[in-house]
Amino acid sequence: MHTRILMLLIPVILYPSLLLGQLQRERVVQDTAVELTFMAPRNINLFTVEPLSKGELHYSIMHTFGEVNSGVRTLWGVDQGANVRFSFEYGFGDNISVGFGRSSMDKVYDVNTRITLLRQRTDGSVPVSVTAAPSVGINTSSFGFLNENYSFSDRLNFSLALPIARKFNSDFSLMIVPMAVHFNRTGPELNISDPEVNTYYSIGVGGRYKFASRTALSFQYIPPLTDAENLSNNIGIGIDIETGGHVFQMFFTTSRALNESYLIASDNGNFFDREFRFGFNINRLFRIR
Amino acid sequence: MKYSSLLLIALLFFFCSHIDSKAQSFMADDGYVEFISTAPLLEFKGKSDHLTGFIDLDENLIDFYIDLNTIDTGIQRRNRDMRSTYLNTDKFPFAEFTGKLLTSFDADNQQKQAVKTSGIFSINGVEREIEVEGTLEPQGDALKLEASWVILLEDFEIDRPRVLFYELAEEQTVNISILLKSND
Repeated sequence: MHTRILMLLIPVILYPSLLLGQLQRERVVQDTAVELTFMAPRNINLFTVEPLSKGELHYSIMHTFGEVNSGVRTLWGVDQGANVRFSFEYGFGDNISVGFGRSSMDKVYDVNTRITLLRQRTDGSVPVSVTAAPSVGINTSSFGFLNENYSFSDRLNFSLALPIARKFNSDFSLMIVPMAVHFNRTGPELNISDPEVNTYYSIGVGGRYKFASRTALSFQYIPPLTDAENLSNNIGIGIDIETGGHVFQMFFTTSRALNESYLIASDNGNFFDREFRFGFNINRLFRIR
Repeated sequence: MKYSSLLLIALLFFFCSHIDSKAQSFMADDGYVEFISTAPLLEFKGKSDHLTGFIDLDENLIDFYIDLNTIDTGIQRRNRDMRSTYLNTDKFPFAEFTGKLLTSFDADNQQKQAVKTSGIFSINGVEREIEVEGTLEPQGDALKLEASWVILLEDFEIDRPRVLFYELAEEQTVNISILLKSND
């Protein structure tokens, strides 16, 4: 017994500096907001809770092509033309940013803002991040062929997305996104599912799983919650690649839509009948000031 | 009885050694550290003024660490990427060096003196034995330390973009400067 005690004490007797010498490691930053819940302000098509910091400018260009079931003659939909959306979003503060974008489908320009309402904290005191993302869009298509042309007000649509996200660990993040959209005027001339319905709702789900330090699988599911014709599930799966300055997002999705309004109001193919499309987003962040 | 005596002797050694080590020990928690990345298209620095250091000349012990969450590269998004994607600061919040002086240092000589140290540097949970050259300069009761060395990210299993962009250099130059105050 005494021998064991003596052996335990030998290091203390001979090398007290081992115990006293090395500094106790203390973190300067004890509690911070959880960062990089998602790699970019969008996860496939859905807004995320990932904020811009003050002075950051985010540029993205998004594409979706034709359905892959059109086969090799159209290079699985690529020849069928793309819906393209480009957007700029600027961080006016660490919790508020304003964006501007244009989608080629129905030639819609939109202005949006993202306001961080809650940030998940590393100490667990706040379990989720919440962002409000309202936007207003204007359809700039030519409707001269109609008996009654669209007025300025007719062309407007309004949307609100409220992503609520949690980063469960360094690899896995999940969000639900309640969404509502209103079109001031609808008709068969618009690329929406039901020309009789002006207001659409949904609760989207999105997530990502990092399987390598800079690569993640991503998904989105936006079920139809509106009583409207021809509305079906929006399903998307993709891969995010962070390359040090850029984030590339490549995905397959059932919808051509790239902005909030059309995301829950437009047609979707049946994912399991190969009625999905290839798409990709390129995200780039600049520091302006 | 034997047990009590043994414990008393150990504590006496422990206590006396502690007192002695205070005589030539220096410490600070506001040192400067910078990591310089020089890639073909971009050079940037990550800086912090929270370098904590300790030198005990009697015990020949050098111990430094930095909370990596305090490093600022000048761009918030790059800071977030650095913390989450490259350095995994949730799991490994500190970069640390613990070692000893290989060369002699004369504390009574008020001149700046070149010194060489050897020890364990760890970052991202990976430890490597390194040698660092620098200078020590007594300044009154304090001790000014400046040192610089180069690390390879690959040696510390820090993954960086390779395929498309090279904005993060494989070689990182680490510079430190700290004025350590006497513990007396």
